[in-house]
Amino acid sequence: MPDFNPTQYAVPLFVVAVLAEMIWAKLRAPDAYEPKDTLVSLSFGLGSTIAGGLLGGFALALMLSAYEWRVVDFGPEWWAVWWAWPLCFVLDDLKYYWVHRAGHRIRWMWAAHVNHHSSQHYNLSTALRQSWTGAFTFGVLFAVPLVLLGFHPAMIAICGGFNLIYQFWIHTEAIKRMPRWFEAVMNTPSHHRVHHAINPRYLDRNYAGVFIIWDRMFGTFEPEVDDEPTRYGIVKQLGSFNLLWSVFHEWLGMLADIWRAPWQHKISYLLREPGWSHDGSRETSEMIRAHWQSRVGQAVAPQATSVADRNPIADSREAF
Amino acid sequence: MELPPLLIQSAVSLAAILALAGLAWWLKLGGAPALDCAEAVRRAAADTQDGFNPVAIACDSQGKSALARDAKGQIMVIKRHGNRFAGRVLGPEAQAHIWRDRGITGVQVDCGEARFGTVFIGTPDANTWADAINRVSVRTDA
Repeated sequence: MPDFNPTQYAVPLFVVAVLAEMIWAKLRAPDAYEPKDTLVSLSFGLGSTIAGGLLGGFALALMLSAYEWRVVDFGPEWWAVWWAWPLCFVLDDLKYYWVHRAGHRIRWMWAAHVNHHSSQHYNLSTALRQSWTGAFTFGVLFAVPLVLLGFHPAMIAICGGFNLIYQFWIHTEAIKRMPRWFEAVMNTPSHHRVHHAINPRYLDRNYAGVFIIWDRMFGTFEPEVDDEPTRYGIVKQLGSFNLLWSVFHEWLGMLADIWRAPWQHKISYLLREPGWSHDGSRETSEMIRAHWQSRVGQAVAPQATSVADRNPIADSREAF
Repeated sequence: MELPPLLIQSAVSLAAILALAGLAWWLKLGGAPALDCAEAVRRAAADTQDGFNPVAIACDSQGKSALARDAKGQIMVIKRHGNRFAGRVLGPEAQAHIWRDRGITGVQVDCGEARFGTVFIGTPDANTWADAINRVSVRTDA
Protein backbone atom coordinates (compact mmCIF):
# COMPACT_ATOMS: atom_id res chain seq x y z
CA MET A 1 0.00 0.00 0.00
CA PRO A 2 1.59 3.33 -1.02
CA ASP A 3 2.29 5.65 1.90
CA PHE A 4 1.92 9.05 0.24
CA ASN A 5 0.31 12.24 1.49
CA PRO A 6 0.30 14.89 -1.27
CA THR A 7 -0.66 17.74 1.06
CA GLN A 8 2.56 17.27 3.05
CA TYR A 9 4.58 17.93 -0.09
CA ALA A 10 2.42 20.95 -0.95
CA VAL A 11 3.03 22.80 2.33
CA PRO A 12 6.14 24.67 1.08
CA LEU A 13 4.13 25.72 -1.98
CA PHE A 14 1.36 27.00 0.30
CA VAL A 15 3.85 29.09 2.29
CA VAL A 16 5.42 30.61 -0.83
CA ALA A 17 2.00 31.35 -2.35
CA VAL A 18 0.78 33.11 0.83
CA LEU A 19 4.02 35.11 0.82
CA ALA A 20 3.46 36.11 -2.80
CA GLU A 21 -0.15 37.08 -2.13
CA MET A 22 0.93 39.23 0.80
CA ILE A 23 3.32 41.12 -1.46
CA TRP A 24 0.48 41.53 -3.98
CA ALA A 25 -1.72 42.79 -1.13
CA LYS A 26 0.92 45.29 -0.08
CA LEU A 27 0.98 46.70 -3.61
CA ARG A 28 -2.68 46.43 -4.60
CA ALA A 29 -5.02 45.70 -1.68
CA PRO A 30 -3.52 46.18 1.80
CA ASP A 31 -6.85 45.44 3.48
CA ALA A 32 -6.95 41.92 1.99
CA TYR A 33 -4.86 40.72 4.94
CA GLU A 34 -5.03 41.44 8.65
CA PRO A 35 -2.14 40.10 10.76
CA LYS A 36 -4.26 38.75 13.64
CA ASP A 37 -6.69 37.11 11.25
CA THR A 38 -3.77 35.57 9.36
CA LEU A 39 -2.31 34.23 12.59
CA VAL A 40 -5.63 32.64 13.55
CA SER A 41 -6.20 31.14 10.09
CA LEU A 42 -2.73 29.61 9.91
CA SER A 43 -3.03 28.30 13.47
CA PHE A 44 -6.22 26.58 12.37
CA GLY A 45 -4.18 24.87 9.68
CA LEU A 46 -1.57 23.65 12.12
CA GLY A 47 -4.15 22.46 14.64
CA SER A 48 -6.08 20.68 11.92
CA THR A 49 -2.96 18.75 10.89
CA ILE A 50 -2.31 17.73 14.48
CA ALA A 51 -5.96 16.79 15.06
CA GLY A 52 -5.92 14.74 11.86
CA GLY A 53 -2.80 12.92 13.00
CA LEU A 54 -4.30 12.18 16.41
CA LEU A 55 -7.91 11.46 15.47
CA GLY A 56 -7.71 10.22 11.87
CA GLY A 57 -7.18 6.63 12.93
CA PHE A 58 -10.86 6.02 13.59
CA ALA A 59 -11.87 7.08 10.08
CA LEU A 60 -9.10 4.96 8.57
CA ALA A 61 -10.15 1.91 10.60
CA LEU A 62 -13.77 2.37 9.52
CA MET A 63 -12.78 2.64 5.86
CA LEU A 64 -10.53 -0.39 6.01
CA SER A 65 -13.36 -2.39 7.61
CA ALA A 66 -15.77 -1.26 4.90
CA TYR A 67 -13.17 -2.21 2.24
CA GLU A 68 -13.58 -5.85 3.27
CA TRP A 69 -17.14 -5.63 1.91
CA ARG A 70 -16.22 -4.15 -1.50
CA VAL A 71 -18.25 -5.30 -4.48
CA VAL A 72 -15.49 -4.76 -7.05
CA ASP A 73 -11.95 -5.99 -6.44
CA PHE A 74 -9.13 -4.18 -8.23
CA GLY A 75 -6.73 -6.85 -6.98
CA PRO A 76 -3.75 -6.75 -4.64
CA GLU A 77 -2.00 -4.22 -6.90
CA TRP A 78 -4.98 -1.87 -7.05
CA TRP A 79 -2.67 1.15 -7.35
CA ALA A 80 -1.46 -0.14 -10.72
CA VAL A 81 -4.97 0.07 -12.26
CA TRP A 82 -4.35 3.42 -13.94
CA TRP A 83 -7.90 4.22 -14.94
CA ALA A 84 -9.12 3.77 -11.38
CA TRP A 85 -7.23 6.93 -10.33
CA PRO A 86 -9.06 9.53 -12.46
CA LEU A 87 -12.34 7.72 -11.81
CA CYS A 88 -11.71 7.80 -8.09
CA PHE A 89 -10.74 11.49 -8.26
CA VAL A 90 -13.99 12.45 -10.00
CA LEU A 91 -16.17 10.32 -7.72
CA ASP A 92 -14.33 11.60 -4.65
CA ASP A 93 -15.06 15.14 -5.83
CA LEU A 94 -18.74 14.21 -6.15
CA LYS A 95 -18.53 12.86 -2.61
CA TYR A 96 -16.86 16.12 -1.54
CA TYR A 97 -19.77 18.10 -2.98
CA TRP A 98 -22.27 16.20 -0.84
CA VAL A 99 -20.23 16.12 2.34
CA HIS A 100 -19.60 19.84 1.90
CA ARG A 101 -23.29 20.50 1.29
CA ALA A 102 -24.09 18.54 4.45
CA GLY A 103 -21.43 20.64 6.21
CA HIS A 104 -23.57 23.70 5.52
CA ARG A 105 -27.02 22.23 5.91
CA ILE A 106 -26.71 20.07 9.03
CA ARG A 107 -25.74 21.92 12.17
CA TRP A 108 -23.75 19.01 13.60
CA MET A 109 -21.56 19.10 10.49
CA TRP A 110 -21.57 22.91 10.40
CA ALA A 111 -20.19 22.98 13.96
CA ALA A 112 -16.93 21.66 12.51
CA HIS A 113 -17.00 23.25 9.06
CA VAL A 114 -17.84 26.77 10.29
CA ASN A 115 -14.16 27.11 11.19
CA HIS A 116 -13.29 27.39 7.53
CA HIS A 117 -15.75 30.27 7.10
CA SER A 118 -15.33 32.38 10.22
CA SER A 119 -12.69 34.72 8.80
CA GLN A 120 -14.00 38.01 7.45
CA HIS A 121 -11.16 37.89 4.93
CA TYR A 122 -10.75 35.85 1.79
CA ASN A 123 -7.15 35.13 0.97
CA LEU A 124 -4.82 32.16 0.69
CA SER A 125 -4.43 31.96 4.46
CA THR A 126 -8.19 31.37 4.65
CA ALA A 127 -7.70 28.19 2.61
CA LEU A 128 -5.58 26.79 5.42
CA ARG A 129 -8.22 27.61 8.01
CA GLN A 130 -9.32 24.01 8.42
CA SER A 131 -11.40 22.40 11.12
CA TRP A 132 -9.95 20.62 14.14
CA THR A 133 -13.14 18.75 14.91
CA GLY A 134 -14.11 17.01 11.70
CA ALA A 135 -13.50 13.65 13.37
CA PHE A 136 -16.47 14.33 15.65
CA THR A 137 -18.90 14.50 12.74
CA PHE A 138 -20.19 11.74 10.48
CA GLY A 139 -18.48 13.13 7.38
CA VAL A 140 -16.44 9.95 6.92
CA LEU A 141 -19.63 8.01 6.13
CA PHE A 142 -19.91 9.86 2.80
CA ALA A 143 -16.77 8.02 1.65
CA VAL A 144 -18.10 4.56 2.48
CA PRO A 145 -19.92 4.10 -0.89
CA LEU A 146 -16.61 4.70 -2.69
CA VAL A 147 -14.91 2.09 -0.53
CA LEU A 148 -17.74 -0.37 -1.14
CA LEU A 149 -17.34 0.25 -4.87
CA GLY A 150 -13.82 -1.08 -4.50
CA PHE A 151 -11.63 2.01 -4.23
CA HIS A 152 -8.96 1.45 -1.58
CA PRO A 153 -9.07 3.94 1.33
CA ALA A 154 -5.50 4.98 0.51
CA MET A 155 -6.48 5.80 -3.07
CA ILE A 156 -9.42 7.86 -1.80
CA ALA A 157 -7.15 9.66 0.70
CA ILE A 158 -4.60 10.49 -2.00
CA CYS A 159 -7.30 11.77 -4.36
CA GLY A 160 -8.75 13.77 -1.44
CA GLY A 161 -5.31 15.26 -0.83
CA PHE A 162 -5.03 16.45 -4.43
CA ASN A 163 -8.58 17.78 -4.17
CA LEU A 164 -7.55 19.85 -1.13
CA ILE A 165 -4.43 21.12 -2.90
CA TYR A 166 -6.54 22.22 -5.88
CA GLN A 167 -8.84 24.16 -3.58
CA PHE A 168 -5.97 26.14 -2.08
CA TRP A 169 -5.40 28.55 -4.97
CA ILE A 170 -9.08 29.48 -5.40
CA HIS A 171 -9.11 31.26 -2.03
CA THR A 172 -8.00 34.60 -3.41
CA GLU A 173 -9.30 37.97 -4.49
CA ALA A 174 -6.24 38.47 -6.66
CA ILE A 175 -7.82 36.67 -9.62
CA LYS A 176 -11.07 37.97 -11.04
CA ARG A 177 -12.13 35.43 -13.66
CA MET A 178 -10.49 32.53 -15.44
CA PRO A 179 -11.18 31.87 -19.14
CA ARG A 180 -14.78 31.05 -19.95
CA TRP A 181 -14.27 27.33 -20.61
CA PHE A 182 -12.47 26.98 -17.29
CA GLU A 183 -15.18 28.82 -15.35
CA ALA A 184 -17.75 26.51 -16.94
CA VAL A 185 -16.21 23.29 -15.66
CA MET A 186 -13.84 24.00 -12.81
CA ASN A 187 -14.21 25.61 -9.41
CA THR A 188 -12.49 28.99 -9.56
CA PRO A 189 -11.73 31.97 -7.31
CA SER A 190 -14.89 33.67 -8.59
CA HIS A 191 -17.13 30.67 -7.84
CA HIS A 192 -15.57 30.09 -4.45
CA ARG A 193 -15.78 33.75 -3.41
CA VAL A 194 -19.52 33.26 -3.78
CA HIS A 195 -19.33 30.25 -1.49
CA HIS A 196 -17.52 32.21 1.25
CA ALA A 197 -19.74 35.27 0.93
CA ILE A 198 -22.55 36.19 3.31
CA ASN A 199 -24.44 38.42 0.92
CA PRO A 200 -27.98 36.98 1.03
CA ARG A 201 -27.91 36.05 -2.66
CA TYR A 202 -24.80 33.91 -2.10
CA LEU A 203 -25.68 32.01 1.10
CA ASP A 204 -25.32 28.23 0.81
CA ARG A 205 -24.22 28.20 -2.81
CA ASN A 206 -21.30 26.72 -4.80
CA TYR A 207 -20.33 23.72 -2.68
CA ALA A 208 -17.98 22.33 -5.33
CA GLY A 209 -14.46 21.20 -4.59
CA VAL A 210 -12.75 20.85 -7.97
CA PHE A 211 -15.55 20.61 -10.55
CA ILE A 212 -18.26 23.29 -10.46
CA ILE A 213 -20.44 21.03 -12.61
CA TRP A 214 -21.89 19.41 -9.46
CA ASP A 215 -23.44 22.71 -8.40
CA ARG A 216 -24.80 23.23 -11.89
CA MET A 217 -26.24 19.69 -11.84
CA PHE A 218 -27.78 19.84 -8.37
CA GLY A 219 -29.14 23.40 -8.52
CA THR A 220 -26.83 25.16 -6.08
CA PHE A 221 -24.78 27.21 -8.54
CA GLU A 222 -24.71 30.98 -8.18
CA PRO A 223 -22.50 33.19 -10.37
CA GLU A 224 -20.57 36.08 -8.88
CA VAL A 225 -22.05 39.46 -9.76
CA ASP A 226 -19.76 42.38 -10.42
CA ASP A 227 -21.88 45.20 -9.07
CA GLU A 228 -22.19 44.09 -5.45
CA PRO A 229 -19.38 44.20 -2.87
CA THR A 230 -18.71 40.75 -1.47
CA ARG A 231 -18.74 40.33 2.31
CA TYR A 232 -17.07 37.30 3.82
CA GLY A 233 -17.40 35.36 7.03
CA ILE A 234 -20.44 34.04 8.82
CA VAL A 235 -23.87 35.56 9.30
CA LYS A 236 -23.10 36.28 12.97
CA GLN A 237 -19.47 37.39 12.80
CA LEU A 238 -17.34 36.19 15.69
CA GLY A 239 -15.90 39.57 16.65
CA SER A 240 -13.04 37.75 18.37
CA PHE A 241 -9.57 36.52 17.42
CA ASN A 242 -9.50 34.02 20.28
CA LEU A 243 -8.35 30.79 18.63
CA LEU A 244 -10.07 28.35 20.96
CA TRP A 245 -13.34 30.27 20.80
CA SER A 246 -13.04 30.30 17.02
CA VAL A 247 -12.57 26.51 17.02
CA PHE A 248 -15.34 25.52 19.42
CA HIS A 249 -17.95 28.32 19.40
CA GLU A 250 -20.50 26.52 17.25
CA TRP A 251 -20.14 23.24 19.16
CA LEU A 252 -20.78 25.13 22.41
CA GLY A 253 -23.70 27.04 20.89
CA MET A 254 -25.26 23.87 19.51
CA LEU A 255 -24.88 21.94 22.74
CA ALA A 256 -26.35 24.86 24.71
CA ASP A 257 -29.32 24.97 22.33
CA ILE A 258 -29.86 21.22 22.68
CA TRP A 259 -29.65 21.51 26.46
CA ARG A 260 -32.19 24.34 26.63
CA ALA A 261 -34.61 23.09 23.97
CA PRO A 262 -37.84 21.24 24.75
CA TRP A 263 -37.41 17.47 24.39
CA GLN A 264 -39.25 17.20 21.09
CA HIS A 265 -36.92 19.76 19.47
CA LYS A 266 -33.54 18.64 20.80
CA ILE A 267 -32.66 16.44 17.83
CA SER A 268 -33.58 19.22 15.40
CA TYR A 269 -30.88 21.46 16.87
CA LEU A 270 -28.44 18.71 15.94
CA LEU A 271 -29.68 17.73 12.51
CA ARG A 272 -31.49 20.72 11.03
CA GLU A 273 -29.86 23.60 9.20
CA PRO A 274 -27.86 26.32 10.98
CA GLY A 275 -30.13 29.18 12.03
CA TRP A 276 -33.14 26.94 12.59
CA SER A 277 -34.92 27.47 15.91
CA HIS A 278 -38.03 25.86 17.29
CA ASP A 279 -39.57 29.24 18.18
CA GLY A 280 -38.64 31.01 14.94
CA SER A 281 -36.43 33.48 16.77
CA ARG A 282 -33.49 33.03 14.38
CA GLU A 283 -33.01 33.04 10.66
CA THR A 284 -31.84 30.30 8.32
CA SER A 285 -30.11 31.17 5.06
CA GLU A 286 -33.41 30.65 3.20
CA MET A 287 -35.16 33.13 5.49
CA ILE A 288 -32.38 35.70 5.07
CA ARG A 289 -32.51 35.27 1.30
CA ALA A 290 -36.31 35.56 1.25
CA HIS A 291 -36.22 38.81 3.28
CA TRP A 292 -33.56 40.20 0.98
CA GLN A 293 -35.53 39.22 -2.12
CA SER A 294 -38.63 40.92 -0.80
CA ARG A 295 -36.58 44.05 -0.10
CA VAL A 296 -34.36 44.45 -3.16
CA GLY A 297 -37.21 45.49 -5.40
CA GLN A 298 -36.75 48.99 -4.04
CA ALA A 299 -32.99 48.89 -3.56
CA VAL A 300 -30.33 50.51 -5.70
CA ALA A 301 -27.43 48.24 -6.66
CA PRO A 302 -24.21 49.39 -4.98
CA GLN A 303 -21.07 50.30 -6.89
CA ALA A 304 -18.48 47.67 -7.70
CA THR A 305 -15.68 47.66 -5.14
CA SER A 306 -14.29 44.18 -5.68
CA VAL A 307 -10.56 43.87 -5.16
CA ALA A 308 -10.59 41.38 -8.02
CA ASP A 309 -11.77 44.10 -10.40
CA ARG A 310 -8.16 45.22 -10.50
CA ASN A 311 -6.92 41.81 -11.53
CA PRO A 312 -8.70 40.47 -14.58
CA ILE A 313 -7.18 37.33 -16.06
CA ALA A 314 -9.93 36.93 -18.61
CA ASP A 315 -11.85 39.83 -20.03
CA SER A 316 -15.15 40.14 -18.17
CA ARG A 317 -17.00 39.71 -21.48
CA GLU A 318 -15.53 36.26 -21.74
CA ALA A 319 -16.67 35.14 -18.35
CA PHE A 320 -20.09 34.23 -17.07
CA MET B 1 16.42 10.50 20.64
CA GLU B 2 14.29 10.43 17.51
CA LEU B 3 11.48 12.99 17.39
CA PRO B 4 8.07 11.91 16.03
CA PRO B 5 7.47 13.19 12.45
CA LEU B 6 4.24 14.92 13.49
CA LEU B 7 6.15 16.90 16.12
CA ILE B 8 8.85 17.97 13.65
CA GLN B 9 6.25 18.90 11.04
CA SER B 10 4.28 20.89 13.64
CA ALA B 11 7.37 22.78 14.82
CA VAL B 12 8.34 23.74 11.26
CA SER B 13 4.74 24.76 10.48
CA LEU B 14 4.59 26.87 13.63
CA ALA B 15 7.77 28.68 12.62
CA ALA B 16 6.31 29.35 9.15
CA ILE B 17 3.04 30.57 10.68
CA LEU B 18 4.78 33.03 12.97
CA ALA B 19 6.99 34.21 10.11
CA LEU B 20 4.01 34.83 7.79
CA ALA B 21 1.91 36.57 10.47
CA GLY B 22 4.98 38.65 11.35
CA LEU B 23 5.43 39.53 7.71
CA ALA B 24 1.80 40.66 7.44
CA TRP B 25 2.39 42.90 10.45
CA TRP B 26 5.73 44.18 9.12
CA LEU B 27 4.19 44.99 5.73
CA LYS B 28 1.53 46.98 7.64
CA LEU B 29 -1.28 45.05 5.99
CA GLY B 30 -4.73 45.56 7.38
CA GLY B 31 -5.37 49.15 8.32
CA ALA B 32 -8.01 50.62 10.58
CA PRO B 33 -11.25 51.70 8.91
CA ALA B 34 -13.26 54.20 10.91
CA LEU B 35 -16.91 54.41 11.88
CA ASP B 36 -16.65 58.18 11.80
CA CYS B 37 -19.70 59.23 9.81
CA ALA B 38 -23.30 58.22 9.34
CA GLU B 39 -22.62 56.65 5.95
CA ALA B 40 -19.87 54.40 7.34
CA VAL B 41 -22.19 53.25 10.14
CA ARG B 42 -25.04 52.65 7.70
CA ARG B 43 -22.82 50.41 5.56
CA ALA B 44 -21.52 48.50 8.56
CA ALA B 45 -25.04 48.07 9.98
CA ALA B 46 -26.39 46.76 6.67
CA ASP B 47 -23.42 44.39 6.44
CA THR B 48 -24.13 43.11 9.95
CA GLN B 49 -27.82 42.50 9.31
CA ASP B 50 -29.19 42.70 5.82
CA GLY B 51 -31.82 45.44 5.57
CA PHE B 52 -30.95 47.15 8.86
CA ASN B 53 -31.69 50.79 8.15
CA PRO B 54 -30.64 53.17 10.94
CA VAL B 55 -32.74 56.20 11.81
CA ALA B 56 -30.43 57.26 14.65
CA ILE B 57 -26.67 56.85 14.87
CA ALA B 58 -23.93 57.53 17.40
CA CYS B 59 -20.31 57.34 16.27
CA ASP B 60 -17.51 56.84 18.73
CA SER B 61 -15.29 59.92 18.95
CA GLN B 62 -12.31 57.82 17.81
CA GLY B 63 -14.27 55.99 15.11
CA LYS B 64 -13.75 52.57 16.69
CA SER B 65 -17.40 51.75 17.34
CA ALA B 66 -20.95 52.93 16.84
CA LEU B 67 -24.55 52.51 17.83
CA ALA B 68 -27.46 52.47 15.42
CA ARG B 69 -31.22 52.32 15.97
CA ASP B 70 -33.74 51.44 13.28
CA ALA B 71 -37.37 52.48 12.90
CA LYS B 72 -38.52 49.33 14.72
CA GLY B 73 -36.51 50.33 17.78
CA GLN B 74 -33.84 47.66 17.34
CA ILE B 75 -30.44 48.83 18.53
CA MET B 76 -27.22 47.55 17.02
CA VAL B 77 -23.75 47.91 18.48
CA ILE B 78 -20.88 47.78 16.00
CA LYS B 79 -17.18 47.56 16.73
CA ARG B 80 -14.03 47.51 14.67
CA HIS B 81 -12.68 43.98 14.52
CA GLY B 82 -9.25 43.91 12.93
CA ASN B 83 -9.80 45.87 9.75
CA ARG B 84 -13.43 44.80 9.43
CA PHE B 85 -16.52 45.43 11.56
CA ALA B 86 -18.63 43.11 13.67
CA GLY B 87 -21.95 43.93 15.26
CA ARG B 88 -24.84 42.62 17.30
CA VAL B 89 -28.49 43.57 17.47
CA LEU B 90 -29.00 43.99 21.19
CA GLY B 91 -31.35 41.68 23.02
CA PRO B 92 -32.55 41.10 26.56
CA GLU B 93 -29.07 40.27 27.87
CA ALA B 94 -27.65 43.61 26.79
CA GLN B 95 -26.60 46.15 29.39
CA ALA B 96 -25.33 49.69 29.08
CA HIS B 97 -23.46 51.87 31.56
CA ILE B 98 -22.26 55.43 31.43
CA TRP B 99 -18.53 55.78 31.34
CA ARG B 100 -16.40 58.87 31.83
CA ASP B 101 -12.66 59.16 31.33
CA ARG B 102 -10.46 62.22 30.93
CA GLY B 103 -13.29 64.48 29.94
CA ILE B 104 -14.84 62.04 27.50
CA THR B 105 -18.28 60.66 28.20
CA GLY B 106 -19.46 57.48 26.61
CA VAL B 107 -21.60 54.43 26.86
CA GLN B 108 -20.21 51.01 27.66
CA VAL B 109 -22.23 48.25 26.03
CA ASP B 110 -22.20 44.61 27.02
CA CYS B 111 -24.24 42.66 24.46
CA GLY B 112 -24.39 39.59 26.70
CA GLU B 113 -21.80 37.58 24.79
CA ALA B 114 -18.60 37.40 26.78
CA ARG B 115 -16.45 36.61 23.73
CA PHE B 116 -17.81 39.54 21.73
CA GLY B 117 -16.50 41.77 24.47
CA THR B 118 -17.57 45.09 25.93
CA VAL B 119 -17.82 47.95 23.45
CA PHE B 120 -17.14 51.58 24.35
CA ILE B 121 -18.73 54.35 22.36
CA GLY B 122 -17.58 57.84 23.22
CA THR B 123 -20.55 60.06 22.49
CA PRO B 124 -22.16 63.12 24.09
CA ASP B 125 -25.54 61.33 23.83
CA ALA B 126 -24.38 58.54 26.12
CA ASN B 127 -27.26 58.89 28.59
CA THR B 128 -29.92 58.68 25.92
CA TRP B 129 -28.37 55.59 24.33
CA ALA B 130 -27.76 53.87 27.66
CA ASP B 131 -31.40 54.38 28.64
CA ALA B 132 -32.58 53.09 25.28
CA ILE B 133 -30.39 49.98 25.50
CA ASN B 134 -31.44 49.20 29.04
CA ARG B 135 -35.07 49.64 28.02
CA VAL B 136 -34.58 46.87 25.42
CA SER B 137 -33.91 44.34 28.16
CA VAL B 138 -36.79 45.61 30.30
CA ARG B 139 -39.16 45.61 27.32
CA THR B 140 -38.11 42.13 26.23
CA ASP B 141 -38.30 40.75 29.76
CA ALA B 142 -41.80 42.12 30.30
